[in-house]
Amino acid sequence: MDQHIKLEVKLPKVHDIELVALEGLQLMGHHLGITEEKIGEARILVTEGIINALEHSGSDIPYVNVDFTMTKEKLIILITDFGKGFIPSDVEEPTIIGKLGSESKRGWGLKLMKSMSDGFEIDSSENGTKITITKNIA
Amino acid sequence: MINEFNLTCVMKNDVLVITTEGYINNAGGEKISQEFDPHFQNGVTKLLIDMEGSKVVNSIGISFLIEIIEKLNEKKGILYFSNLDPSVEKTFTIMGLFQFAEKVSSVEEIK
Repeated sequence: MDQHIKLEVKLPKVHDIELVALEGLQLMGHHLGITEEKIGEARILVTEGIINALEHSGSDIPYVNVDFTMTKEKLIILITDFGKGFIPSDVEEPTIIGKLGSESKRGWGLKLMKSMSDGFEIDSSENGTKITITKNIA
Repeated sequence: MINEFNLTCVMKNDVLVITTEGYINNAGGEKISQEFDPHFQNGVTKLLIDMEGSKVVNSIGISFLIEIIEKLNEKKGILYFSNLDPSVEKTFTIMGLFQFAEKVSSVEEIK
């Protein structure tokens, strides 16, 4: 069986806390000899996943759980928040044309996670949201 | 640890060159926008952002760059990027930024 390493962290809703997870990701990637290019793409996925989750985590449980499982071939990122959830199909896919001239330029997280990953699943309910992202890193 | 955001700014001919260092998050994007705005008010319509020192970005930070593109479009200006990390370049591509912005290798490439 391939060597796999895991990291599980509970992140509070604190400014730039996603950098803590990125530091762990970087160290794990270097340990397994993952290329800088693949670590870079994983960084984007982790960053977007965490800021999205923190933004929607609500005030009752202002934490998100982040789990990484990494082998030399694959990274699985699991991000869980405990907010009120959302309906993924209700989220409109952003475009640059649509954003220019519009009041809000934000709302790119889901699109980036879907486009840059090799697998993307959302399980959302009124008790929270779990996002599973798979990234091939070989 | 990924470093704090900083930027430097210089005019080269008619191009405003902003060189960034560190994480382009909400605060980083806002700083770029705040640096750009007075120059834009004074008629600058070419902005180059050199991102060699910024390997980490997030979409909230990038939303400020979209605001800059919007302003430049109004004046037929253009936003240029140089020294993009491959993951940042891929992010910008997914978001469609290169429909309205260009990649250059250096400020000398801008006419």
